[in-house]
Amino acid sequence: MISSSASSRLVFQSPQQFSGDWFVPPATNVRIRQEKPSVISAAFASAAAERETTTTAYTFTPKLATSFYEVLGIPMGATSDEIKSAYRRLARVCHPDVAAIDRKSSSADEFMRIHAAYSTLSDPDKRAEYDRRFLRRYRSVGLCSNPRFSGYTGRNWETDQCW
Amino acid sequence: MAAEAAYTVASDSETTGEEKSSPSSAEVAIGIDIGTSQCSVAVWNGSEVELLRNTRNQKLLRSYVTFKDETPAGGVSNQLAHEYEMLSGAAIFNMKRLIGRVDTDPVVHSSKSLPFLVQTLDIGVRPFIAALVNNMWRSTTPEEVLAIFLIELRAMAEIRLKRPVRKVVLTIPVSFSRFQLTRIDRACAMAGLHVLRLMPEPTAVALLYAQQQKQQAEHENTGSESEKVALIFNMGAGYCDAAVTATAGGVSQIKSVAGSTLGGEDILQNIMHYLLPDMDNVFSSHGVEEIKKMGLLRVAAQDAVHRLSTQASVEINVDLGNDLKISKILSREEFEAVNHKVFEKCESLIKQCLHDAKVEIEDINDVILVGGCSYIPKIKNLVMTICKRGESYAGMNPLEAAVRGAALEGAVASGINDPFGNLDLLTIQATPLSIGIRADGNSFVPIIQRNTTMPSRREIIFTTVHDDQAEALIIVYEGDETIVEKNHLLGYFKIAGIPPAPKGIPEINVCMDIDASNVLRVFAGIMMPGKHHPPAPFMEVRMPTVDDGHGWCAEALHKAYGSSLDLVTVQKKVQQ
Repeated sequence: MISSSASSRLVFQSPQQFSGDWFVPPATNVRIRQEKPSVISAAFASAAAERETTTTAYTFTPKLATSFYEVLGIPMGATSDEIKSAYRRLARVCHPDVAAIDRKSSSADEFMRIHAAYSTLSDPDKRAEYDRRFLRRYRSVGLCSNPRFSGYTGRNWETDQCW
Repeated sequence: MAAEAAYTVASDSETTGEEKSSPSSAEVAIGIDIGTSQCSVAVWNGSEVELLRNTRNQKLLRSYVTFKDETPAGGVSNQLAHEYEMLSGAAIFNMKRLIGRVDTDPVVHSSKSLPFLVQTLDIGVRPFIAALVNNMWRSTTPEEVLAIFLIELRAMAEIRLKRPVRKVVLTIPVSFSRFQLTRIDRACAMAGLHVLRLMPEPTAVALLYAQQQKQQAEHENTGSESEKVALIFNMGAGYCDAAVTATAGGVSQIKSVAGSTLGGEDILQNIMHYLLPDMDNVFSSHGVEEIKKMGLLRVAAQDAVHRLSTQASVEINVDLGNDLKISKILSREEFEAVNHKVFEKCESLIKQCLHDAKVEIEDINDVILVGGCSYIPKIKNLVMTICKRGESYAGMNPLEAAVRGAALEGAVASGINDPFGNLDLLTIQATPLSIGIRADGNSFVPIIQRNTTMPSRREIIFTTVHDDQAEALIIVYEGDETIVEKNHLLGYFKIAGIPPAPKGIPEINVCMDIDASNVLRVFAGIMMPGKHHPPAPFMEVRMPTVDDGHGWCAEALHKAYGSSLDLVTVQKKVQQ
């Protein structure tokens, strides 16, 4: 990957990473963020979808290949109250206003990731869509190798099978 | 810049440890509510928020500055009553309405009936504002007036706190553009104040609410995290704002904000016009006599509006001289009819805010009414009707809520710890206005939509409109109007070095980043399909870059370049 910027802030790195980092997961992210589908979100979606099939940039960086549930540290069956309180708990730690001094620069990215996860999972429609579209592909990527995942869900037949 | 400084403070307090009894080691930022009509200052005193009083024991100070001879004096220390000073033309007020506006702005035009000089030439530069001193017009600017006033506030705070005061959190209207925020920043810098945060007024109120709810939950021991949703409606003399906040455990999450330049001043002007329909004509010459008449009419109308909050009708008697006498009984019904447009706008603002927050009216736990106009029965009524509620939230003083919230934010942003957890607070802010660029012909293409949670980063890919187009102009606007010129211009820069290619092939990636302290950066770069190396370095521009007199920039750019440096969104290309 080519990095044109030395700062820790995600400035333009290579095109793929630039988009890939933000579009996690690429296919669904856009619909998540914008309530009314605008001209722009359509552009996002199509551009992102294209990129997904050609480059799958997000798989280059393993830390990004986590589910929104993992980002919030909650089980897949979490209630909406659990989602909200997980979001608040993480915000109390990760929001740049409160993050420790040595993490100021990375906390904005961290908080944005947390917020993206929250804004999808706190909306029942988007959450259902996410579960359907992303997790199906996500499993096939080889999630079972991640033991953390099964820790969150007491009974998960897929991970059970792997073990 | 403000951000880094804020963080430095936080680290200072961390290294000094838990010793809360040493406030001097970590300076607590004070909260200032600069109102169109009144100002107040508050500070976290180590255990709670306290409003500071001037030498005359007042905690609400009139926002005005009087120019006399060489030494201007503001409403903090001045002994004379504001009402009489208004008659002389030497007092400048309503600076919060005028700051950062060009002379084509309707708000500036409506300020021409103020009893000092506001002159417009409609060419997109700052208006000419002047006070009458010794029968001469002494020009000034809203920034200068605000700075003089802030110096007095600062001096007052330093006397009360017995320490130097440098750091402040200021509340601002939701509808302020980023350019206006730079003017507030400049006024503060002129007054030797360092701005930690400029906080939208209703979000300051939301923070106070978050603290109150947290304390209440702890007192009642009702477990923890029951989320409370509140609608906040704030209407002062110059502006009105609405916000929806979801609160639990001291975290105030701003779901949506909406604001408008609409306030008691509009109500007052409507009443003045109602009392004297020929007002604009009568006062057009702006002589000493006219200013006195304007002042008299203003004082009488203001008094009537205030009394109508508690009385069903008021009698107005004002002698403007030269056989111009106004004697009238004004009923509350008349008052409401004269101002029905103001009230309609308030309604639509609240409805928009609720819609953007995606909350149902049934989900609202509390309705919080603050600001001077919240005393007007019709305002109370319309908010409660929309929210289908009988009573508004009772836990706040409508005139002190914003400054108290600002003081809390000041303490939190200064990294102060409270052993009882009263400062374990966080506001998750949302952007009040969309930010985007001019593209697709003369359209405004938002990149960060309004009510996006901050910090935030979004990007859109654009492409060229001409074959072999080597350069592109990125013109950044803020607002929510589809016609690009109706939004606030924030700045512009050029992307050069696009390699020769048919139109629609180069990808121009424009990314916008707002950090937690509301600093906006715009990044733009070129990508060529199939190439991994960008042909030119990416650009990072901190916005806004425009200065005074920017009103004509967009037009000048258009004249000089036409559509030769235009961009379109990539999606358009796909559709065609």
